[in-house]
Amino acid sequence: MGFIKKQSAGFYFMVLTVIAALAGMVFYMINCNTDYFRNLGMNTIIIVLLTAAIVLEIVYIVGYTKMGVNPVMDMIPLVNGVLLMVAFALFASARVNSVATILSFERNAQTMADLSSAIVGMVCCLTAVILNIAGSFFKVVKDEE
Amino acid sequence: MKEKKTKRRVWRGAATTGTSLLALTMSASMIIDTFRTDIDKFLGTQSTKMITENQTEDDYTYKSDYGSTTELLDAIEDLGERMNEEGTVLLKNSNHALPLSEDETQKVTFLGFSSYYPVQGGDFGSSLAENRGTDADTVDMVQAFEAKGYTLNPTVMDMYQNMKEEFKSEAVLPWGVTTYYRATAPSIDGTFTSLEPTQAALDAAEPTWKDSMNDYNILIVTIARAAGENANYTPGEAGVNPEQHLNQADPLGLSDTERATIEAAVQAKEKNGGKVIVLLNNASAMEIDEIKHNTGVDALLEIGLPGGYGFYGVADVLSGEANPSGHLSDTYAVDNSASPAAQNYGNYAWVNADPAYSINSEIVEAESIYTGYKYYETRYADTVLGQGNAADDAGSSAGGAWRYDNEVSYPFGFGLSYTTFDQRLDSLKVDLEEKTVTAEVTVTNTGDVAGKDVVQLYTSVPYTDYDREHLVEKSAVQLLAYEKTEELAPGESVTVTVTADAQDMASWDSTAANEADTKGNYILDAGEYYFTVGNGSHEAVNNVLAAQGCSEADGMTEAGDKSNVKTWNLAKMDTTTFAHTKNGTAVENQLQDMDLNEHIPGTVTYLTRNDWSGTFPVTYKELTATDEMLAEMQNDTYEIKEQGDSEAVTFGADNGLVLADLKGTVDIEDEKWAELMDQITLEECMIRTGFGGTSTKPIESISSPEAVQNDGPNGINSYTLGQYANKDTSSADPYVTDANDKNLNYKFGTMCNETVIAQTFSKELAAEFGNVVGNYSIWSNLPIFWGAGTNLHRTPYNARNHEYYSEDAVLTAYQAASYIAAGKEYGVLIAPKHFAFNDTEINRSGIATFMTEQKARENELRGTQAAVEDAETLAMMTTFNRIGCTAGNAHYGLLMNILRGEWGFKGLMSEDFIQDANYSVLKEAVHCGVTMTCNTGDSTMEAVSTKWDYWTTENVSKDAELMKDLKNVMTWQNYALANSNAMDGLNQTSHIEDVRTWYDNALTGTAAAFSVLTLAALAMYFKGMKKNKQGGM
Repeated sequence: MGFIKKQSAGFYFMVLTVIAALAGMVFYMINCNTDYFRNLGMNTIIIVLLTAAIVLEIVYIVGYTKMGVNPVMDMIPLVNGVLLMVAFALFASARVNSVATILSFERNAQTMADLSSAIVGMVCCLTAVILNIAGSFFKVVKDEE
Repeated sequence: MKEKKTKRRVWRGAATTGTSLLALTMSASMIIDTFRTDIDKFLGTQSTKMITENQTEDDYTYKSDYGSTTELLDAIEDLGERMNEEGTVLLKNSNHALPLSEDETQKVTFLGFSSYYPVQGGDFGSSLAENRGTDADTVDMVQAFEAKGYTLNPTVMDMYQNMKEEFKSEAVLPWGVTTYYRATAPSIDGTFTSLEPTQAALDAAEPTWKDSMNDYNILIVTIARAAGENANYTPGEAGVNPEQHLNQADPLGLSDTERATIEAAVQAKEKNGGKVIVLLNNASAMEIDEIKHNTGVDALLEIGLPGGYGFYGVADVLSGEANPSGHLSDTYAVDNSASPAAQNYGNYAWVNADPAYSINSEIVEAESIYTGYKYYETRYADTVLGQGNAADDAGSSAGGAWRYDNEVSYPFGFGLSYTTFDQRLDSLKVDLEEKTVTAEVTVTNTGDVAGKDVVQLYTSVPYTDYDREHLVEKSAVQLLAYEKTEELAPGESVTVTVTADAQDMASWDSTAANEADTKGNYILDAGEYYFTVGNGSHEAVNNVLAAQGCSEADGMTEAGDKSNVKTWNLAKMDTTTFAHTKNGTAVENQLQDMDLNEHIPGTVTYLTRNDWSGTFPVTYKELTATDEMLAEMQNDTYEIKEQGDSEAVTFGADNGLVLADLKGTVDIEDEKWAELMDQITLEECMIRTGFGGTSTKPIESISSPEAVQNDGPNGINSYTLGQYANKDTSSADPYVTDANDKNLNYKFGTMCNETVIAQTFSKELAAEFGNVVGNYSIWSNLPIFWGAGTNLHRTPYNARNHEYYSEDAVLTAYQAASYIAAGKEYGVLIAPKHFAFNDTEINRSGIATFMTEQKARENELRGTQAAVEDAETLAMMTTFNRIGCTAGNAHYGLLMNILRGEWGFKGLMSEDFIQDANYSVLKEAVHCGVTMTCNTGDSTMEAVSTKWDYWTTENVSKDAELMKDLKNVMTWQNYALANSNAMDGLNQTSHIEDVRTWYDNALTGTAAAFSVLTLAALAMYFKGMKKNKQGGM
């Protein structure tokens, strides 16, 4: 049985979670280097949380593929839920005032362009949270049981 | 077995959901303090509470004129109607087309989509608050006219209303995209799109619409231009939607579809014998010369943005129930883009822009003092006098020689009435000891109907060789003072005494010696001073020219009345009378750094009437800032360092005082103020200056209350009447409201825009607005109001002009001062904004604004000065833009030396909504007397230090000067509060207690629930695993 054929829905959810979290992190870093948001600095906690979540998610996928059902592995989505959600909350809370400011007082092509990476990044992080939750309800590999 | 394993995944999923949501609620609980201020404002909750014992009615200092919210709202509605009765300007009334007879009001056709979907407030900023189900529900134009007994053409009304979706436009606001069914203003980078439907579209929608006008032949066409904060009209064709091809040369000019609508009315009138009346529904002066000269248009009126009740007033004006008495607060030019100010109105990025420090663009106001009528009338006078190359073609909108008739459609101050008036300037006295100019003017109603008239006192000051040599500019005519009469019956006369502040005719000379032994002073040149009255600036300048011996033969547009001119001669230049301000401060140059030539010598040629064509402004763009300028624009201009005796600055003393002990103490030198402020802690000062957004927060050490801030200026419109109204019937508050009062949902963003208030030329009506704002403040417990826009209309292209009064400083100053002083009687802190030079919405966070100090002082600053010196305002909002290269909140000369020094401002001062930590310049702002930024956050040092990393007690506590600055600004802030209705209900027992809000409890409960969910899911998971194991998994 090929590798892909062995995978179940949980696998795809978790891969998408990794992609979304990675995209969220990339867009966060891009946003932190835009003209408008540069002065706010970069919160390393967000980077650490997202990195940890991505690593754990990969461990989860690989672990399940290699080890099958394992209570330790099953705890990873729980932990990732916390990591991703806290990362999202910190990201959003660091941007909400600026979003309001740009949309109401400083709206121009430059600020809107700068804002777009923040919006995309936050959406990616939230998507990662949802995908992680969804994936935790499904098998990672078909012969898990 | 399979079922059990499925359950395992279900419990795993449930546990993941639980931990994720638990993390969300825990994160929310942790960061909620950062947003507590905003959340409380949004939800109407309070996280702190003032506890006051033994409260009596005497603890409530300020008294309302009204006994109920119904009376309060009735007063607002009544004032809104009267504002447009007196603020609507009749520009044209051929063959006495107006007023309409009673019969004519029964056969009216509204044309133009803006008749059905008018602009009643800004898109954002002074937006109309639509109220339903209250005692003062707002109305649109159709509703108002029908309520006033008009009968409207139902066929045409149905046609336009069925086309509603055609008039949809969107505006992006902080809370998302809002759909408007009316004209909207272009965004900063956007262009104007005309939504006026084509004739073909109208024919398709209703083939009989033209025929229907035979029975409804009073044809009222409404043409609108919207307004909005963070919006902008770009001059010329560049500002028009390039895809429309509607022969529109300027966003403030007409499109072909608008022309066709007017023409359809004119053609219908020719068939049905009716009348054509055009209403201008706008705040930025439009280009309407073709309407003026269209003989088919019988009447033309400027109605502004009428707010929620103003259309009642417009209806009354048309029917003759009210006789129009408004006068233009701006010049209506033929081509706005031809003005000298318009040559430098746009987005001019620095070549070496650096967004990291908000270094984006510049604007060079090279027109000097010559904006609005000061340009048009001065250049006109010089064409007549044959001086300064005034007749050359530079700035000519039609090409060829510059001629007034080709440039101005309607002058500043112009307005017609249904009656006629005669004004005689009986006497004029200049008293330099008292620093006043007093005129007595007899006004006689020479017509057939009763009406009010406006006395506009103008002066023409000498333009001398000294001025030419020292580049002191003089307007050929300038408004010095104004008064409005009471209603005069036909034949009735009244003598009006008009008293002006003589400083308003003084000129700033940056080269003059002064009492401070430096440079810069107000001067009165030697020579002949002319004073006159007139229906607008053009009539006034013609009177002056006539007195100077000129006639139509010299090129005057019409003869002047020299008998209505008084003169006063000053034998010798006066440099002493205004060398000190009213509080005794010696004046000197403070804004030389606003002249770009100080930074890059020889760059700018400022317009001078000595050579109109040779100095007519070019556009200053693609400029490169010098290294010194870049350094200044990086905004780090105050260094926190060890200086002074930090031990000598007292914090945290136990003097047993609370702010209520100083309630109503107007003497800021009273030693109790120092004693009280010695109690405040350094940390409190640092947190409160950093986080002052949306409300001043409680200060525990001195029991200073939270005072909620509100935006305007079309009424206190941030919150409903009921959000902070007292509903505690056990309270001693005389203005307790019933929790079921339907008026508690009322939102007071309903007044007309400021241009209409200016057009009333009535200080009394401005004061009445202050009265209702004050009363509303008492009932709603909303004491701080960013409600007086005192920036000038430098050009009509600033889409935010609706929040400012006029192009003229004197009209702005005295409308604002009357309004603020009246409100102060009720304890509301009405703040002028934006101090200063917020002349465009383009790149306002960072734009570097350059001009001469003469322009700065005689135009925009003069527009705010009376609000401080005369009305003694206790609140001020600063500006987004830079003052020269310096961040607006970091300019010591403007904020400390002029505002607090020369003018004696003693109140609270907030930044505008600047969220960028670098550009909000906290340490510089505190040093410059700013009492709070507009940021919000957790009331902890950690939070404020996170936002501004230099703002730590370790840093600041070594800088005694900065600590003194902190105590000063906190003193000013609390002085303002102590003299406001924010203190109502407080006494010596008042103290602050924290309150757990319902959302705090909800978050705790939610966290507990998710914890239980998580634990339960985990328990079930492990239970399942154990069973599986026992079952031989």
